Amino acid sequence: MARIEIEDLYFSYRPEEEILKGVRLTLDQRPTAIIGQNGAGKTTFVKLLKGLLRPTGGRILLDGQDIAGLSAAKLASRIGMVFQNPNDQIFKNTVMAEVSFGPRQIGMPEDKMRICCQKALEAARLTGLEEKNPYDMGLSARKMVAIASILAMDTDTVIFDEPTIAQDHVGKERIRQIIRGLAGEGKSVIAILHDMDFVADVFERVIVFMEGRILMDGSVREVFADRDMLERAYLEQPNVTRLCHELGYRGVYLKVEELLHET
Amino acid sequence: MKSISLYEDKGTFLNRTAPESKLLYILTAVSVPALTGIEWAGIAFIALSALLLLTGRVLKKTLPVLGVSGFIMLTVVVIQGMFRRENMTPVFSLGPCVFYREGLYFAFQIILHILNILLSFCVLMLTTKPSDLIESLVRRGFSPRFGYVFVSVFQIIPQMTETMGIIMDAQRSRGMETEGNLLTRAKAFLPLISPVVMSSLVNTRERAMALEVRGFNSRCKKSFLNPRVKTAADRYIQAMELALIASALGWRILLWLM
Repeated sequence: MARIEIEDLYFSYRPEEEILKGVRLTLDQRPTAIIGQNGAGKTTFVKLLKGLLRPTGGRILLDGQDIAGLSAAKLASRIGMVFQNPNDQIFKNTVMAEVSFGPRQIGMPEDKMRICCQKALEAARLTGLEEKNPYDMGLSARKMVAIASILAMDTDTVIFDEPTIAQDHVGKERIRQIIRGLAGEGKSVIAILHDMDFVADVFERVIVFMEGRILMDGSVREVFADRDMLERAYLEQPNVTRLCHELGYRGVYLKVEELLHET
Repeated sequence: MKSISLYEDKGTFLNRTAPESKLLYILTAVSVPALTGIEWAGIAFIALSALLLLTGRVLKKTLPVLGVSGFIMLTVVVIQGMFRRENMTPVFSLGPCVFYREGLYFAFQIILHILNILLSFCVLMLTTKPSDLIESLVRRGFSPRFGYVFVSVFQIIPQMTETMGIIMDAQRSRGMETEGNLLTRAKAFLPLISPVVMSSLVNTRERAMALEVRGFNSRCKKSFLNPRVKTAADRYIQAMELALIASALGWRILLWLM
């Protein structure tokens, strides 16, 4: 398990416009969702974690080591990141070649690579499609290819940027299982999301970003219970939570099952 | 998104002037000295362009343009000054290199032409929004299809640079070194270029369909979103430009007849 500490992180593309204004937090093993309005600094934050951008102030410590000295390519074996748009990533002619590209780049031994790729393909339900050309697949299937190609790298931390976009119920269910599976293996999962129901269903910790700062940080229940604070960040509670609030129930319900079980 | 156009709206007189007036200005600045063959006409137009650029508050932006072409102008001076066939009278020498009066004079004339053309184009390009320029040409009967192609270049190039950046990040995060020596960069090139080409092909098809759905090829007479801007000043300027060209042409014919 990787421990990521973020100390007073500042970032700006242009000096007059600060994107991150002093972010301080420690990421632990709990699957963590980052939510917030567009432009709150979520994607910038994960890019900094990944070493794709360099902070203008503050430090990021990965297991106690400052990542400033590591290139994005060096960090790749420690932290994996699935990009929002799979088209930005996929370039090989077969699913297998695409999925094995990352493990090869980080110098994974051949036999371990085979196992990891197989496992990743299974998790993304792509077994049997190894020789297919990703460009012949639909968007949601391509997203699965992109996810599998990061899973195959077997990193301690996996970051997802908007994993549920363009996914139907079946796709979301698969992603839910993938995230649960990663957490079960003791890996850290961080995801940027806009789908509050999915957050409530799958994640344990929620961090709310607003205008480059952390507005809230706590367990899913704590964060989603605070309707007023969420409103300040222009966010809504999950549907079940809202329904129960409207019905006048006391307590915070996060999932349909919880509600059914209770009543 | 970063713009590749050099244009910036500063609300100056030149920004408000119609693109046609500025196009006609280029024609005047280039044709009058060429037709009359009078050297100081070229110098006068260079001074006028510089003055216009100064009032348009874009004179500073012409410096990089002049810098790049300055290198070419320097080679003209060196080559003509030293090696022109008519060279007779030495003026000065730098070590073993002797520069001659005739060649230097010829180089001076060429530089005047280059500066004149460059600065008068700057008057148009630095103060006119590319889409406004194309729109005014389309209004005058220029094909809207080609107009679209020209305008879209200004959108597509920055868009592709942006996509390239994202794709580079996606591959870097999978452990590919994109920084370093030439070999590393060359090896990184292929994985980067194929998603860029693929996604721009896909985008092009989507864009073509989206345009078609909105009647791009329709044969009806098209209307324009922006009203035609032609002030009294524009009429006055254009009349003056035409008069200048006409009188230069008249002068030429008169010389020719005599």
